[in-house]
Amino acid sequence: MFSQLKSRFGSGLAVGIIGMIAVWLIGLVILPQLLMVDYSFRPNLLPADIGGPKDAYSLTNYETLFSNKIHLAIFFKTIWSSVLVTSLTLMVSYPIAFYLAKVATPQKAALCLLLLIIPFWINEILRTFSWYIILAYKGPLNALLLGLGVVDRPVRFLSGDGGVLIGMVYAYILFMIFPIYNAIESLDTNQIKAARNLGAGWIRTHWRVVIPHAKPGIATGCIMTFMLAAGSYAVPALLGSPGSRWFTQIIYNWFFEGGDWNQGAAYAFLLLIICIGFIALVMRVFKVGLGDIAK
Amino acid sequence: MDSSVHLDNTVMQFGDFTAIQKTDLTIQSGEFFSFLGPSGCGKTTILNMISGFIDPTQGDVKIGGKSMRGVPANKRPTSMIFQNLALFPLMTVAENIEFGLEVRGVSKSERKKASDRLLELVALEGSGTKKVSELSGGQKQRIAIARALAVEPQVLLLDEPLSALDLKLRQHMRTELKAIQRKTGITFIYITHDQGEALTMSDRVAVMSAGRIQQVADPITLYRDPQTSFVASFVGENNGVKGGVIESNSDLVVLDCGPLGKLAGRSQGSVNVGADATLFIRPEHFRLQAESGMYSLQATIDEVNFEGAYLTLNANTATHQALSIQLGTHQFSESLKKGAPVSLSYHEQDAIVIAGEGHV
Repeated sequence: MFSQLKSRFGSGLAVGIIGMIAVWLIGLVILPQLLMVDYSFRPNLLPADIGGPKDAYSLTNYETLFSNKIHLAIFFKTIWSSVLVTSLTLMVSYPIAFYLAKVATPQKAALCLLLLIIPFWINEILRTFSWYIILAYKGPLNALLLGLGVVDRPVRFLSGDGGVLIGMVYAYILFMIFPIYNAIESLDTNQIKAARNLGAGWIRTHWRVVIPHAKPGIATGCIMTFMLAAGSYAVPALLGSPGSRWFTQIIYNWFFEGGDWNQGAAYAFLLLIICIGFIALVMRVFKVGLGDIAK
Repeated sequence: MDSSVHLDNTVMQFGDFTAIQKTDLTIQSGEFFSFLGPSGCGKTTILNMISGFIDPTQGDVKIGGKSMRGVPANKRPTSMIFQNLALFPLMTVAENIEFGLEVRGVSKSERKKASDRLLELVALEGSGTKKVSELSGGQKQRIAIARALAVEPQVLLLDEPLSALDLKLRQHMRTELKAIQRKTGITFIYITHDQGEALTMSDRVAVMSAGRIQQVADPITLYRDPQTSFVASFVGENNGVKGGVIESNSDLVVLDCGPLGKLAGRSQGSVNVGADATLFIRPEHFRLQAESGMYSLQATIDEVNFEGAYLTLNANTATHQALSIQLGTHQFSESLKKGAPVSLSYHEQDAIVIAGEGHV
């Protein structure tokens, strides 16, 4: 890499670029992570005891989760809900991505993409708040449903997981649409025509031709959505009720309300490990390699 | 089974643009029929209308006498071979061939039998388990044919399927396509801009230009008796000489071509005295020795090319009319060289006259 940069920019600039990348990677990514790993294995002590005899490495912080039934339940609920968010987002995004890539005229596709992107110019917290208003007990959505006669009394979207799911599907939809859109766009339209021509209906055409081709894009979208959902804090904090707490909220509490960084770090790593393991499993099941995703 | 295709007063418009002018044409059951024309002439649009990817703005497409209006592409008795073949790269060769049968709910063992039979037809026995990417261009071509035939279509549509192959293979595949057509008896509708393909394989050819069918005829008639100046100059090589009509008998027309003198040829369609017309002479119809009753043009040789069995000459008349001449190699002599004068003669029966300024 250095020789490539050197031949292009000269040795001075090449050293500068690599140096900056190194500072960023080591100083801002790797070292803080290592520090957190270190924290997670040590007990939470008063400043005076740090470095003393009580300051010994142990797995105690990791064991805490398994002895706390409530935390454990929230932990698995977070994973399960993230799976749910990912599948809902996929179901919403796939038709949109297909429409944008293969059905819409270039002008319409550009307009739709713009309309999809514009809301994301607004801060995530504000967007989530707007859903809070929409989904409120006396909010516009309930007013609409009542007006249409779909329900005869307002629905409490914001108690339970419904609000969180809706908010997350909305928050992460772009991360799902774009990789799938890119994948489908690279599909030769004649492949779709050929499948139709050989007698395939729409469902089979998608199942046998479009989806197999778009699989790396779908996997990428699902992985990003799953990771973002499992690590989300703002959406469950704003749209969730006390009964629908997310594991990230517990991690937050350890850090900033419990003041126990060591315990928080251990929880955070457990979430990370489970997420990575889960993704590796999904990639294996769907026979997608890292190389496919990097495309 | 009746597998004729009838374009019943079909018109296709895209917004303000008329891709296909009103067309009424019947392609016979079991015929090898080609649409020949330059790119953008609307031939692919015709294929898309027959296969059901688009519905005509006006008129109808009838297959086997049945109206296809509103019948989606996957319910039509047609199957198509795409220009880029569009084989499914993530499926094996056999899965590709069997796809259409799988869609129709044919059992696995029946499908296997069918794909084995088709692989034999296209001389690729035992390739069923291969990946598409492992095949050569010519083999992919044959698999595309097998896949299209697997669904036992009434009509096979071919969209310039040979254009990606090299010359040798292309010529070989022409013969093979023709043989497969004879064996299966299916109606073949072939789209091409390559007149060699159209003329060698087809029973009849429709020459198209700007969304309009110029002429429908068998290849020999098309070559000998083009009805429009577009056909005359698009099919094969032709020399067009403009002039004013001074005499018009039942089928013979004499033109006054100014400094080139009076030239005559067979008339195609109505040619009126006093009107402008174009005389077309094929390069191979010029002779160096004039016989009685022949007409002659005087020109200066610009270039002599030896092409093996024949010579081609490029010559210019006094009116700067470029002419192309083809002679048998035995007619070569030292006097044929750049800058030399040459007298080019032809029989009036070998030239044709078409009304109008011409399209040269």
